[in-house]
Amino acid sequence: MNSPSARPRRLETVPALLLLAPFLAAFLLFFLIPAVQTLYLSLTDSSLTRTSAFVGLANYVTLVNDPSFWASLGNTFYFSLLTVVPLTVLGLVMALLVDRFTRAGPWLQGAFFLPFVLPISVMTLIADWMLQPSAGIVNHLLGMQRAWFADVHWAMPMVAIGTIWWTVGFNMLMFLAGLRNIPRELYEAAALDGARGFALFRYITWPQLKPVAWTAFVLQLIASLKIFGQTYIMTTGGPFNTTRVTLHYMYETAFTQSDAGYAAAVAMAFVLIVVALSLTQGWVARRLGRQA
Amino acid sequence: MIRRRHLPAALLVACALPALTLPRTALAMDANAPAVQTVRMWTLLSGGDGARMRELVERFNASQQGVRVESTTLKWGEPFYTKLITATVVGAGPDLATIHLSRLPNLAGGGVLRPIGPAELAAAGLAGADFLPRQWAKSQHGGATYAVPLDQHPLVLYYNKKLAGQAGLLDGAGRLKPIEGIDALTEAFRKIKASTGKPGMTMESAQSSYAIWRLWLSMLAQQGLPVVADGRFAYGPAGAATLARVAGWFQAGYATPGMDYPASTSQFMGGNAGFMINGVWEVPELVRGQAQGTLGFEYGIVPLPRMYRDASTWADSHGFALPANNDNPMDPAKVRAVLAFVAFVSKHSLGWAEGGHIPAYRPVAESAAFLALQPNAQYAAAARNVVYDPDGWYMGAAGPLEAIASKFLPAPLSGQLTPEDALRRFETEAVRLLRKRAPLY
Repeated sequence: MNSPSARPRRLETVPALLLLAPFLAAFLLFFLIPAVQTLYLSLTDSSLTRTSAFVGLANYVTLVNDPSFWASLGNTFYFSLLTVVPLTVLGLVMALLVDRFTRAGPWLQGAFFLPFVLPISVMTLIADWMLQPSAGIVNHLLGMQRAWFADVHWAMPMVAIGTIWWTVGFNMLMFLAGLRNIPRELYEAAALDGARGFALFRYITWPQLKPVAWTAFVLQLIASLKIFGQTYIMTTGGPFNTTRVTLHYMYETAFTQSDAGYAAAVAMAFVLIVVALSLTQGWVARRLGRQA
Repeated sequence: MIRRRHLPAALLVACALPALTLPRTALAMDANAPAVQTVRMWTLLSGGDGARMRELVERFNASQQGVRVESTTLKWGEPFYTKLITATVVGAGPDLATIHLSRLPNLAGGGVLRPIGPAELAAAGLAGADFLPRQWAKSQHGGATYAVPLDQHPLVLYYNKKLAGQAGLLDGAGRLKPIEGIDALTEAFRKIKASTGKPGMTMESAQSSYAIWRLWLSMLAQQGLPVVADGRFAYGPAGAATLARVAGWFQAGYATPGMDYPASTSQFMGGNAGFMINGVWEVPELVRGQAQGTLGFEYGIVPLPRMYRDASTWADSHGFALPANNDNPMDPAKVRAVLAFVAFVSKHSLGWAEGGHIPAYRPVAESAAFLALQPNAQYAAAARNVVYDPDGWYMGAAGPLEAIASKFLPAPLSGQLTPEDALRRFETEAVRLLRKRAPLY
């Protein structure tokens, strides 16, 4: 029993390792080693280019007492609050629409997905033009001259709206794949039992789609927490840092202020927070799953 | 960003270095006869300044056979300096760079620049005494010369003669009557608004604008107050009071709030504002507009008026510096080639002065041709009263402190924050810089 199965397995080890090698090399070189290096940097007083002076946890002590860090974290959470749920719900609604209309479906799918293929520079340019104070279409329609990105109350919501428009297509694709995996027989059986309309969604679609929804939700949370490009380009973190998110603060600390040690501490703290949030969400998801 | 950028960049550079440097040194050795020295220059000069520098490079390249300067223009501000610093520490920096002298403490102190010896300068026909003392002093660090100064560019007050005339602000010869004191300046703005209906003054005031830093620093200096002294904020209550005076112009409707740099300059160029507070670098646009007949009015320029005790005025200077490239040091022949170009530009800096700048090279700055140059002659007196950013590694053009100031100081102008609140937030954010020791690169 043992020998026939062991021989092919050993034979497979070498090719398997060879096939894995490119990924492993890239993973080590571009992820694991830099991550360990960042951890080490965070314990030093390094400048942008020179690693120096081990300072223990001093950077983390500074971090805990740094109002700018906490403010940037608050801005990051605010952005996530504005985007995570809308992006998940809208993705679902769009997927349902595409699935529902057999003839217009592909067209809708294309229209919903199109913004997602734009590079961030193009997306921010479009948003800039639409929200331009004097010539933008948004102000034209509303009959006002508001400088949206310079407005303390509106800057972040506008970045959020732009982001939703830009990335919702991806969530729609995920939900659509989930929808198409639901066996048709379930709907037929439910229809025989007299279920129609919302009842079908409530008792067939939603329970079947729940794992996809949670995945979309977690991925979206992580993506939203990682926001940098949109605010960096559209608002440069302004007005007066009210849209400066954590990664932007890290960037400024490292590159404008040449303080790589402290920036690495910001990075490590942020990773911990994101990981903690993702784990919490997974835990909540499992609890809810058990209840259902 | 660190995680993603730091190591891959270092690795790439490490791999690329031998590949790049070996053939080049080999080439230089082969061709020790009539070799052409190539000088790679990085500049942050764009717009009119960029065009003028390109012209000087072309004239230099045409003037001789031995040296060829290749100039690359990079994005002004923080991106330029970040690139210069990171490239230089791995030995991949250029042979020559234009910098702001206000950044010298940061760059020279951090080990990014290579000192230029007196003998090297002398070989190129240059000496410290050839340069105006103020700019020369700004090129020194720790007893060594780290830059060859090129110019000085102060803040000035531009005025529209048509609007100022309607407001009764001109004398019989069509020149601005002297304005003395902050109240008189405010009154001049009010008169323009009252008699023409157009804004009395314009300056950039959108988020991330630098004009208010320059003006605020000038106004504080006029009261004998530095922004920072001995590692502390030293302006006291005058900081907020001064900011409130500027904010007052916007709140009274003498100026349009929230304009970014291009919007504010085109407001003045379009004849829609009586005065403009800006650096001399906008001079070429006005000269060109007038020459082409596209400027719908006559303009004049005066030094920033005395608003408080004296007429102190913010200024900065450009200079040429040699990146250290410690892993890849420059051979003496290359140094001679680089300084030959620097000497050429110094001696031909009258062309540079047409960009509004005051040349740093004395034989040009004191020449009859420059003293007669218009409109520069109108504001030449400003040079006597200039103040630079205080020395400090975090100071200077697009440096860490200015970057923070550009976020908070514009807010009171648009009424988003009170001056006190803006300065409190500015200090909260900036105090970490003041406490930190200067970085080594």
